[in-house]
Amino acid sequence: MNVKHTQVTIYSMVGAISSEQAVRGAIQTHSKRVWRFGLALSGASDVADDLLQSTCLRALERHHQVTSHDRLDSWLMTICRSIWLNEVRARSVRKAQALSVTPEAELISPEADSETNIFAAEVFTQVMHLPEAQRETVMLVFVEGYSYREAAAMLDVPIGTIMSRLSNARQKLKTVMQLSAADAVRRSGK
Amino acid sequence: MKFSDETLIAYLEGTVDDDQATAIEHAVEDDPELEARLMALDPFAPMVQAVFEKVPAEAPKVELPEPQPVESSQSSGGPWRLMAVAASVAVVAVSATFWTTRPEPLGWAQQAAIYQSLYVPDTIASLDNSEQALKMQFDLAEAELGRSLNRETLEALPGMELKRAQVLSFNGKPLVQVVFADEQGQPFAFCIIRQGEGAPSKDVNLAELSGLATATWSEGGYGYMLIGSNPQTPLEGQLDILTASFAS
Repeated sequence: MNVKHTQVTIYSMVGAISSEQAVRGAIQTHSKRVWRFGLALSGASDVADDLLQSTCLRALERHHQVTSHDRLDSWLMTICRSIWLNEVRARSVRKAQALSVTPEAELISPEADSETNIFAAEVFTQVMHLPEAQRETVMLVFVEGYSYREAAAMLDVPIGTIMSRLSNARQKLKTVMQLSAADAVRRSGK
Repeated sequence: MKFSDETLIAYLEGTVDDDQATAIEHAVEDDPELEARLMALDPFAPMVQAVFEKVPAEAPKVELPEPQPVESSQSSGGPWRLMAVAASVAVVAVSATFWTTRPEPLGWAQQAAIYQSLYVPDTIASLDNSEQALKMQFDLAEAELGRSLNRETLEALPGMELKRAQVLSFNGKPLVQVVFADEQGQPFAFCIIRQGEGAPSKDVNLAELSGLATATWSEGGYGYMLIGSNPQTPLEGQLDILTASFAS
């Protein structure tokens, strides 16, 4: 098969890619990220499932609003958050009694040695126990790689707020890191 | 105000005083370069990312209604920038080609090659490569990367006409693509990504990626890549000049 030829053909079809097709492509490409963001917001994987599904349907309904195809990932994240805040949060919080986030340790894939796993589970738990504002900021910047100013635009807060949320989160995550560093020293000393 | 890496690391570790923390946060508002430096120095981000990027392990299921018939006269949103369209097509192509068969994330070089493989002579034929346009592009790209792009060397590459430098991003790291037209008008690209201090150096590796001849190497915290227009494009001449010019 001539791969180059196939790709050139796709390129020549650029003009025919509709906003709906672009949104469908983005949903497929970014579904993991949106789900993960939904998990960070809600703290529960079943709510993350629902948030992802609602986000995708909402995005498809609104594909006409899409004018540029290059920031569809942040657009999906913003829709997900808005559905969480406006439609799901009150219900979920009532249900879960003040959002006592239950870290779902089974989400951490069993691989590598058990010490690595224990560390990963600790980091996961610490992040999920951060206050919601810090948690969503950590997810967007640390995990999804958005810049401070992109995260500020998505969360509609000043850059300074993003930075101070991250600073507060780092202070809480520091404990885990120090423990793991101490662990590493201890292990290498064996 | 200029902040040293030591100061920025101290900020990230929470060991600077409040005044200095405020000064840094204030400075970042108008200084994307400082922002990029801070993000690259942050020891917490890779740690948290490594844990969360594996969640969820499987692609979650989404149920979507059947596609509507394509309207013939869309794109009313004004003239799309070629790059934006090409990038989104790359996303579609990547998802179509790799989503089901390739669960592990692609490296920056593979992604860059996929993107470059969408280029045809028409992509670059009409680019505005006036002095004014290039200067603006290079200033922006150098600020994002935090290093010089040695524009004089790039302009003097034998048989190559400099067409454009554009800022892209890979996993939050600034990635600059400099594109040229060769004597036949075929696209040729030189890419640089900032990998951060302490990134391992790697010797030149020649490979065919996405049907294109490529050469990649890493040195001094940056990754470099040359991409030809077909699997046989000779890269040696440019490679010698660029590895020497970008040696740290």
